[in-house]
Amino acid sequence: MLQVLLSGLASGAIYGLVGMGFAIAFYVTRVINFAQGQLLMVGVMVAAAIARTGAGWVLTVAGGIGAAALMGAVTYLVAVRPVLAFDRSSFAWLVSTLGVALILQNLAAIIWGPTSRPFPALLNDRAVHIGGATLTLQEVAAIVVALFLAASFELVRRKTLFGKVGMAVAYDPEMASAIGANTGLIAVIAFAVAGMFAGVAGVLIGPITYANPYLGNTYGIAGFVALMIGGTARPVAAMAGGLLLGVLEETAKSVIDTQASDWFPFVVVLVILLLAPQGLFAEAGRLRELGRFRRRPGEAAS
Amino acid sequence: MSANGEHALEIASLRAGYGRYDVVRDLDLFVEEGEAVALLGPNGAGKTTVLRSIMGLVKHRRGSIRVMGEEIVRMRAHRIGRGLAAMVPEGRRLFLDQSVEDNLLLGALHLRRDSDRVRRLLDSVYALFPALSELRARPSAALSGGQQQMVAIGRMLMSDPKVLLLDEPSLGLAPLAIDGVAAALEELRRQGRSLLLVEQRVDLALRVCDRVYVLSSGQVALEERAADVHAEQRSLISAYLG
Amino acid sequence: MSDGLVSAAGAERAATRARWTPPWRGPLLLLGIAGYLVLTYVLANDTLYVQGLVLVAAVFGILAVSLDLVAGVAGLYSLGHAGLFAIGAYGTTILHNDHGWNLFLLLPASMLGVGVVGLVLGSLSLRVSGLYFAITTFIFTLVVTVLASDLAITGGYGGLIGPIFPEFPSSLEWLGASLIWCCMLALLVAILLSLGIRRSPLYAVLLAIRDAEPFAAAAGARTSLLKVGLFGLSAAMAGAAGWIFAFQGIVSPSQFDWTVSVNILVMVILGGINTTLGPVIGAAFITTFPAHVSINPFWQEVLFGAIFVAMVIVYPPGFMGFVHAVFRRAVELVRRGSPDEAARGAASPPVALTAAPRNGSPQEAAPAFAVDCRAVSFAYTKGALVLRDVDFRVRRASIHGLIGPNGSGKTTLVDLIAGRLRPLAGTIELEGHRLEGTGPPARARHGLMRTFQAPVLVRELTTAQNVGIGLYTRAPHVVARAPVWQTLPGARRDGRELRRTAVRSLSFVGAGGWTKRRVADVPHGVQQLTQLAAACAPEPSAVILDEPLAGLAPSEVEHTGELLRALRDAGVTVILIEHQPRFVFELCDEVTVLDAGEVVASGPAAEVREDRRVREVYLGQ
Repeated sequence: MLQVLLSGLASGAIYGLVGMGFAIAFYVTRVINFAQGQLLMVGVMVAAAIARTGAGWVLTVAGGIGAAALMGAVTYLVAVRPVLAFDRSSFAWLVSTLGVALILQNLAAIIWGPTSRPFPALLNDRAVHIGGATLTLQEVAAIVVALFLAASFELVRRKTLFGKVGMAVAYDPEMASAIGANTGLIAVIAFAVAGMFAGVAGVLIGPITYANPYLGNTYGIAGFVALMIGGTARPVAAMAGGLLLGVLEETAKSVIDTQASDWFPFVVVLVILLLAPQGLFAEAGRLRELGRFRRRPGEAAS
Repeated sequence: MSANGEHALEIASLRAGYGRYDVVRDLDLFVEEGEAVALLGPNGAGKTTVLRSIMGLVKHRRGSIRVMGEEIVRMRAHRIGRGLAAMVPEGRRLFLDQSVEDNLLLGALHLRRDSDRVRRLLDSVYALFPALSELRARPSAALSGGQQQMVAIGRMLMSDPKVLLLDEPSLGLAPLAIDGVAAALEELRRQGRSLLLVEQRVDLALRVCDRVYVLSSGQVALEERAADVHAEQRSLISAYLG
Repeated sequence: MSDGLVSAAGAERAATRARWTPPWRGPLLLLGIAGYLVLTYVLANDTLYVQGLVLVAAVFGILAVSLDLVAGVAGLYSLGHAGLFAIGAYGTTILHNDHGWNLFLLLPASMLGVGVVGLVLGSLSLRVSGLYFAITTFIFTLVVTVLASDLAITGGYGGLIGPIFPEFPSSLEWLGASLIWCCMLALLVAILLSLGIRRSPLYAVLLAIRDAEPFAAAAGARTSLLKVGLFGLSAAMAGAAGWIFAFQGIVSPSQFDWTVSVNILVMVILGGINTTLGPVIGAAFITTFPAHVSINPFWQEVLFGAIFVAMVIVYPPGFMGFVHAVFRRAVELVRRGSPDEAARGAASPPVALTAAPRNGSPQEAAPAFAVDCRAVSFAYTKGALVLRDVDFRVRRASIHGLIGPNGSGKTTLVDLIAGRLRPLAGTIELEGHRLEGTGPPARARHGLMRTFQAPVLVRELTTAQNVGIGLYTRAPHVVARAPVWQTLPGARRDGRELRRTAVRSLSFVGAGGWTKRRVADVPHGVQQLTQLAAACAPEPSAVILDEPLAGLAPSEVEHTGELLRALRDAGVTVILIEHQPRFVFELCDEVTVLDAGEVVASGPAAEVREDRRVREVYLGQ
């Protein structure tokens, strides 16, 4: 029982990090970055490559995270900004971010080969016993780091000026620029932060899954489901969504059968979409309501 | 006129629109330093477009817009919002998911390095609207329309801009709140600020402003000094009431 | 520049021009079909390798066309078409292999079954908006794929072996591979269906649902039914594609995963969204791409990805979008010297409205008040009443003005009368019918039309096409006939009649010189007039006009006044919200003044104008 819970939290932590990446990018720009899962993969692959040169674990981890953050920013500049500049309401970024995902995945396969490459064990070779359950130190680190990052993000968002500017851009980008916020720059930063979250997830999961160019697909979907569960009102909710997803998955695996982890998440999401489309943790519609009757610019009330 | 002879705001031959046809056509107007000017006219005449063009929020704008002599017609919106001009938009548009004081501090975003100046600006806003200092920590979504308007005006003042722009500040407010807005604007005028006010309520506009432009179909149809309008009230009234 | 007025002669010329459709349209279509059949023959006799490519290309062509119908036309972005496609393919295979169903029976069965699933999926779009709908359909595809991978009946990851398509009898063997004929003909039907809908009046209505839903609803279109129905049709087409696909040999989960859904969307966008041939071109390009570019499969995917990114950034309207834009430019250059501009003339009496009141029936039976609101209250959010116990009665065949400061609740009252909002309390009667529980389409069918404060129109369509949307309730059986519109002479005739009526209506309001211009390219004043024309075109018994004068030049204002008088004299009840008090008091028979959600004064115009309270409200005296 405890084992199921803890293992679920460990895998859920990763889903939550990827989910928060989706959520942060969406929160600021109203765009879903289809390449988010691939950013995790970039983190893993680059870290593995650095490790192979013999560099220490600090450089390995930093390099992986940095590469993912950089790719996040590049994705925005190349695949999202031009689309939004053309037409703010266009959905074409669905196509262009998917294009980026394809490019990243296949370039990785070309550079490092399509099969798994070794990844330094980091903390994965030490076991920790809690109650009757066993986790590797890496898994414990995943939970701790994920919770820490989620909490820090929310703290920064709500309490620092930088975070408040981000909130303003998310709430009303036009007014935000009217008070002097460079919304373009903030969008790039948001995508970079999203990449960073994915990169962290990557180096946390690397020792367990090894470095494989196709990691992006699995973790991308899982992270996306985490976003759906948590809703789009607050990025931190995606972490809660991810943890919940992880635990549900482990429960399904142990109670039903190992294959259940395939379809169980989707059943959960489907139920959520049918019952509460905005996610379980969304702000109770207050803001939605207030925004709903905002008149279009130039149209006076009568 | 300021010391170097520049108007606070000078617009020349402005053309602006949202598609292939211009809403504002060949518009000229100016606001002297320390002057309050009203922009009147029916809906669709282009009043809001003029304000949004000044703030850099209208993509297709051509002509000349100068604030204290500085040409801003080609400037990006976020540069204009950093002390050149600031606006109270129609409908207030506060950041409703944040508190009153947060909204005010965000107004001073470009001054964040100078905490003394920000402190002074904040104090002056609370001096102008004493009721707001009780409401500092309140989430702005919980405020009434009149209170939100105070916050919006405060946010505008926090960026310490050279020109103040207001788009229908009386919209949807109860008479008492409108009175409060008018009093605040009069005080700002007394302090020597330069104001451009778009309004539907002629009485409010005449009470606060020195000069009045009437817009129609994107161009200036009439320009009068407010004092002259009082004396010849009939002609303006008949333009409006018939 | 006064652009709005047109002389009577110019109006006639405009109406004539609308009647003329390019004479080469019909024969061109037949020629196209003939060429297509020749191509099919060639392909059906080609190598097996080519046939394999053709099959896949045709199947995805059908899928792309079906997706474009919902995404491009109606704005419902679906990532669920791979799932629908899968249900068709798996359903066909399982029902044939395991239960011996007749192959040809399975085609309509597949279309029906998948169509029903589509109706369910489509109805979700009513609860959940744009992006969330796309996500929901995305999850749908995931669920279908996972089920296909895990259930025994679907053969798990390995999949199932598909049925074999019967060959031609020996007499027709010369035609070549029967399967190729089958899929090419199916694709042709799909294209013609799409073409039919685009050529029918339904197209404009669907675009309105996408871009200007309040306008479509106010014109009488039951937007929810149309959206769901269209999605069902699109799903049925995907089901047909699935049926065909089963014959290529193997049906396995990996052929239907979410990347396939996205690929179909990419085909639509690359080829040109919201065009007839665009999706087909996109499908052909993407499915045959690997065959043309035989390089390392990884580099191929990289190239794919790069094309996706480049296309979207460089030219979002896609290939066919580019073709259309070039064509439109060429037409514009040719038309530069046309009498279009010269049709502007001095003010002249408007072309008479050839309308009798909708219920030409006896006035005795009809109530004295066309619109009767009693004790109406409304609030957007709890506790903030926007309208408070409002009584509003409008006499039949009169012009009734509704004025008041901004924020007084005028548009809200109008939204309540037009059905866009539901009152918290009170009753609303239209021609004696209690209507406060119904929506805009019901009001339209009772003869009430309205315009909006800021023109809500479909920008990419012409003014005449927009006015055509207003005629929706007058067009007989549009929805049923839409897919086969150009084949029915009766339908074509009705279409021409609709166009003529639309042009006449535009001339009536004084915008006759603008019938062929897209709304995006006309000045604000002309957009206002277009709205007005759309409201007047179906010969309504009552119209509500929300600030029809906004943005009009003084001469256009005069003209509008004459129009409204003409409407009233023809028996139409006119309710008018306006900000120009002089205009209101001169024109209206009765006036109601609102302030802060309450009625300040109501009665004959002259009385209300002298009312002290009214002056207070406006000038604060």
